[in-house]
Amino acid sequence: MAQWQELQGLDAASLERLHQLYSGAALPMEARQCLAAWIEDQNWDWGAAFEESPETLANAVANLLQEEQRILRQAHAAAQREPAAAPSTPPQSDRHQEIQRRLAEFQAALQDADRTFRHLEDAQEMFDFCYKVHYHPGEARPNDPEYVKQLQSLQAKLQKLDRSRKDMLAQMQQLLGRSETLRDFVQQELGGWRERQRGACLGAPVDTGLQQLQGWFTALGEGLFQLLQLLRALGELRLKVTYEGDPLQTEPPLLETRLRELLTYLLQSAFVVELQPCMPACSKRPLVLRTASKFSVRARLLVRLHERSHPMEVKIHIDRDPPKIRGFRRFNILTFNSKTLAVGDSPQDGLVCDFQHLTLKEQKASGSGKGSKGLGEGPLAVTEELHIITFTLAYAYRGLELELETSTLPVVIISNNNQLSSAWASVLWFNMLSADPKNQLFFAAPPPAPWPRLAEVLSWQFESAAERGLAREHLHMLARKLFGSKPSPESTLAWHKFSKDGASGFSFWAWLDGILGLLQEHLKQLWKEGLILGFVSRKQEEKLLRGKRTGTFLIRFSESVLGGVTFSWVEHPESGPPTFQAVEPYTATELAALALPDIIHDYQLLVEENIPENPLRFLYPDRDRDEAFGPHYSQRQAGSLTGKKEYLNQRLIRVSSRRVNEELAAATQDLETLRLQPWEPAALQAVPCSPGTPGPARPEPPLQVGTGVPELLPPAPGAAEPALVLQLVPKGQEHVPVAPDSLWMLQVLPESLEPLQPPPGLQGLQQVAPGDQVTLKLEPGPVEPQLVLQPLSEGQGTLQVAPGGLGTLQPALGGLGTQHVAPGDQGTSQPGSGALEPPLNLQLLPGEQRPLQVAPGELELLAAEELDLQKLLEALEPADRALDALEPAELEPAELEPAELEPGLLGRLGPGAACECREPRAGRAAAAAPPGADRPRPAGSAALLGRRDPFLPQAEAPLPVVSSLFAEAGDFPPLHIDPQDFQ
Amino acid sequence: MGQGSGRQERSKNQDLATSDTMQAEENVQSDNGETRETKTRDERLRLVFGMADLKNKAIGLYNIGQTCCLNSLLQVFLMNTHFTGILRRITVPPSASQKSRSVPYQMLLLLEKMQSGKQKAVCPKALAYCLSLHRVKLFVQYDAVQLLLTLWNLIKGQLTNPELIEKLCDLYTIWVQEYMVCQECSFETKRNSNMITLPLSMLDSSCHLLKTLEECLQCFFCPEELTGQNMCFCEHCGKKTPFTQSMKLAHLPQTVILHLKRFCFRKSASTHKLCHYLSFPQDLDFNAVLTEEQCQTDASEKASWQYELFAVVAHSGSADCGHYCAYIRSITECKWYCFDDSEVCQVLWDDVKCTYGHSEFHWGQTAYLLVYMKKDLQEPYPGLSENLRKLSPSF
Repeated sequence: MAQWQELQGLDAASLERLHQLYSGAALPMEARQCLAAWIEDQNWDWGAAFEESPETLANAVANLLQEEQRILRQAHAAAQREPAAAPSTPPQSDRHQEIQRRLAEFQAALQDADRTFRHLEDAQEMFDFCYKVHYHPGEARPNDPEYVKQLQSLQAKLQKLDRSRKDMLAQMQQLLGRSETLRDFVQQELGGWRERQRGACLGAPVDTGLQQLQGWFTALGEGLFQLLQLLRALGELRLKVTYEGDPLQTEPPLLETRLRELLTYLLQSAFVVELQPCMPACSKRPLVLRTASKFSVRARLLVRLHERSHPMEVKIHIDRDPPKIRGFRRFNILTFNSKTLAVGDSPQDGLVCDFQHLTLKEQKASGSGKGSKGLGEGPLAVTEELHIITFTLAYAYRGLELELETSTLPVVIISNNNQLSSAWASVLWFNMLSADPKNQLFFAAPPPAPWPRLAEVLSWQFESAAERGLAREHLHMLARKLFGSKPSPESTLAWHKFSKDGASGFSFWAWLDGILGLLQEHLKQLWKEGLILGFVSRKQEEKLLRGKRTGTFLIRFSESVLGGVTFSWVEHPESGPPTFQAVEPYTATELAALALPDIIHDYQLLVEENIPENPLRFLYPDRDRDEAFGPHYSQRQAGSLTGKKEYLNQRLIRVSSRRVNEELAAATQDLETLRLQPWEPAALQAVPCSPGTPGPARPEPPLQVGTGVPELLPPAPGAAEPALVLQLVPKGQEHVPVAPDSLWMLQVLPESLEPLQPPPGLQGLQQVAPGDQVTLKLEPGPVEPQLVLQPLSEGQGTLQVAPGGLGTLQPALGGLGTQHVAPGDQGTSQPGSGALEPPLNLQLLPGEQRPLQVAPGELELLAAEELDLQKLLEALEPADRALDALEPAELEPAELEPAELEPGLLGRLGPGAACECREPRAGRAAAAAPPGADRPRPAGSAALLGRRDPFLPQAEAPLPVVSSLFAEAGDFPPLHIDPQDFQ
Repeated sequence: MGQGSGRQERSKNQDLATSDTMQAEENVQSDNGETRETKTRDERLRLVFGMADLKNKAIGLYNIGQTCCLNSLLQVFLMNTHFTGILRRITVPPSASQKSRSVPYQMLLLLEKMQSGKQKAVCPKALAYCLSLHRVKLFVQYDAVQLLLTLWNLIKGQLTNPELIEKLCDLYTIWVQEYMVCQECSFETKRNSNMITLPLSMLDSSCHLLKTLEECLQCFFCPEELTGQNMCFCEHCGKKTPFTQSMKLAHLPQTVILHLKRFCFRKSASTHKLCHYLSFPQDLDFNAVLTEEQCQTDASEKASWQYELFAVVAHSGSADCGHYCAYIRSITECKWYCFDDSEVCQVLWDDVKCTYGHSEFHWGQTAYLLVYMKKDLQEPYPGLSENLRKLSPSF
């Protein structure tokens, strides 16, 4: 039937030939049509054996069928020659089509073989019957012509039977031969999948779906099992009729051996690890496992054939065949060691075994005292030790029983998260280079990586972390960094150069991984959109920026800071060559507080005339800054303040002073950090003086905390909450010489504040000028330090000035969380160089111009260190309340004593004290702080500092140290002023 | 002989008769299977050579009891139009008994039976019987190389026309020169020898597995040191001395048969099959494989050493028992066929490549005999173009 139907579907030319074939044929075409199924199911070659049936017809039909097949074949061959005209089918690779075609052929041939078998059965039955009826060996009747004729006929039947058996066997041989090719093809595809899976583990964007492979494996496996069954049935035929030279005696065992071998191999390779071991916590970095942490892994059998009545068990082992090296750690897999291979009901579901919630536990070194205890004695580092998890499956199907085995790619087992990065480096190196996926001693002699391959793998890392790979230019920069000025495609990188050595104190990989972490956490979107140029060397950067407009900037990764990002811009002065500036790299710590787009948007550079400007105007090559970053700016207006909202929104911006090695970060977002940062030394070209270099000593260098310039930060339209900016602007200074060890104390006094009494015995305490200025007084010192302002909670307010020009301004919070620094529009502190007593102007400009009120318990303190280590303290007191100075150790607001200022310690605002702070010079706005704790906070008028704010240091914790600020300025370890020291 | 096959025999003979009368055109018209374009070309060719020479259909041969090896070899012979060209010119033996004893004649009959019938396979019973008269037993497993040599020798021995014998030898004989050089006195003996097959070892001298056919060939023509027990008697030195034995290739015939020695004898008496992977190319340039020193011939001979694969006789199973089949590339159609006794199917090069072998498959198909055919770069049917041109200037 199938053949006839197929013929009807052929093109006109073939149909024409079909009609020709039947014109005048012994069999009318109509009969062929009506009896199609029956005709095709008969064995016409046997026609002659049906003695009653007219042999001519039988022969004619047999010939007709053969001719039909020929027409079909030729039509198919012609169709194959012409590329398939049907574009509806999705384009598949030639190999996939070839597999599909061969599978279809294989299945058709199987059906054919099945039919042949049934004919053979019939023929055998008929022979058997005739034999039993006609053959009587007992009664010899050699002269009976009838009997002789019958014997001859019997002989002929036997001949036919023999030929059919041989024919059947030849058919099966042929089938097996073709299935070997098919098996080979499918195997190659599986090899391709394994490669893809290895790539995917490394982050390659490839498809690792198994659906298609499962389809092929299952179809082929099913066919082979069918063939096996047919072969067994064939063997059974021999039990009924056999004769001398019976081919069923010799051939089937050979065929079966060959078939079993084929099946075994097919099943063996069909057992795969679908999901490599992976901890759910770091799904993008599989193959790294941490002891005592959960991980999962999934094995799958691609030949989806199983008997539901016979569940098959998968066992899991680790390091079944461990390498015999000293100190190789051994592990146990906890939770469970075996599971049943299960299949879902839908045909899409695979035959899988999902191991989840597994953990690893290291085996105690066996007690045999080698003396070494096996700790760290192995030739391989922990992250270079490779372990292999193996699955075994007791497979049984249709009488075929096998033990199948498959293994994961080698995993690296760590015990601490800080080993994650280097463990991943090992995984990368292994899967990039190891030809043998089971070589556990790969790191005994790790081969170098060819640069093109490494480049590809590194690009995958970026693609997987931040959805955008590395461009050619990026890779060029990396290659130059690794191989010097001339990278060539033949360059190779040694393992230790990749993961271990590094001129800058960290390896290439650690550097790259730092960037990856930064990208993933904070810069994903920018990287994805290509806003970050990223890998640009300093030299290249100048080349790129040289021809661009002033204010053109680019974002690149720092080469000296782990996980740092920076921006550089170009300026074309009226005369002279263009200058290039770069800001000191931001790391995750800073970006966690303030997103890079916001930093770029709000970035301020203070010029001599005291008019801050944002030097970043065009993103390289010439894209408007706001156009590029606009979508990424954080929401400026959080809508109207609702009753639920306790605090006003605030904003943190970054400021640098021009040609000065400092950057000031003012935290308006909860007003917690105000930092002065040194420039990255190399970034400053105009300033030869590195931040740590003390400048020429100046007597009494004044620091002026000047009035903020409200225009600095135009409030976002509709913003209900004013922002506060603190700026420290050294005036007229070429560079800021920084005196290590200098201690500064600042007193910030509001207008109406009573003069703060310096604690007796404290030398160099600066007067806080009462009046409408908040004055910052500086002890005479040769240089100006940089300040970091930090908020302190729980009444512990310290101005910490780090040596080397870092200072911290810490507005302290009251213990009850009740004090509020009302954010004015801006608060600006400007260190004015040259002024003997630089005033600190804390400008708090509430929208309503209400007086600034500092809640009780609130405390602001500016501490500075002087060269001679004198310590000064000034406290900022609210104008209309008594100043309360508290013991530094006393952090509880209840214990606050009013108006006592402890030397060298803290300035505090006593409980209930309020501070009204007016900016007389600016005069445009007044800051209003909410009233004290006992008073309700006026909504909408002020930004509130809550003690729940995550940025606030905890009460009894040591002063927060922003490590990144000091990390690269190695000469200046962070200095704390410990309150205890001053008592 | 049963009735059915008897009938078939008769019809075969009728067909044979028609083809003998060379009524080519009638046959062409009755032949529905030919496509139009090949038809016109074939018509012309038939005018010159008769239909029989060009009929090169892939027809199976029934296994009549352990004859898979014979069947495969017969296919290799009969699909080779160069060979059938010789076969068709044989003198028909005069008597019936001589006919039944003549291997070439029986092969010719078989060929006609195969090419003129419409069934998918024919039974080589008469030929098998004929062979059994020459002590080639039936129902016995053979080694393909052994049987090939037997068959070839029988054919050659029974040809009566010296011209045909020469043609047959030309078609299959490889000429090599063997050099034996005494390492002590540099005395050199040279010997010309002829071979029907080049027996190529699958292992090099230090028993490493070879991976490609080219390596096998290089290894075969590599000089060998005969020392120790293998020392030879040197006439000059008058004693046994170490020798260097080398072979140089002098001439390659139209059909080159390479024998991959996939069986190795272990210390125990049992033979053992080597099933490891060994690739062979479709196109083989002996000049590229052999060095200058390994050849002993002139440039014009060497220029013709461009070969393409014509047939692969593949074996599956173990050394003791197994099965043969043949992959043959039809010369007229340029398509690969797999001949598995009575089963014939068209295959692709990928299927042929499956006979490279695989160390993990001990029962799978592995190539055992490789038959390469000299490329006819100028003319597809050598020597015929002259006649064809006379026939039709447009051809």
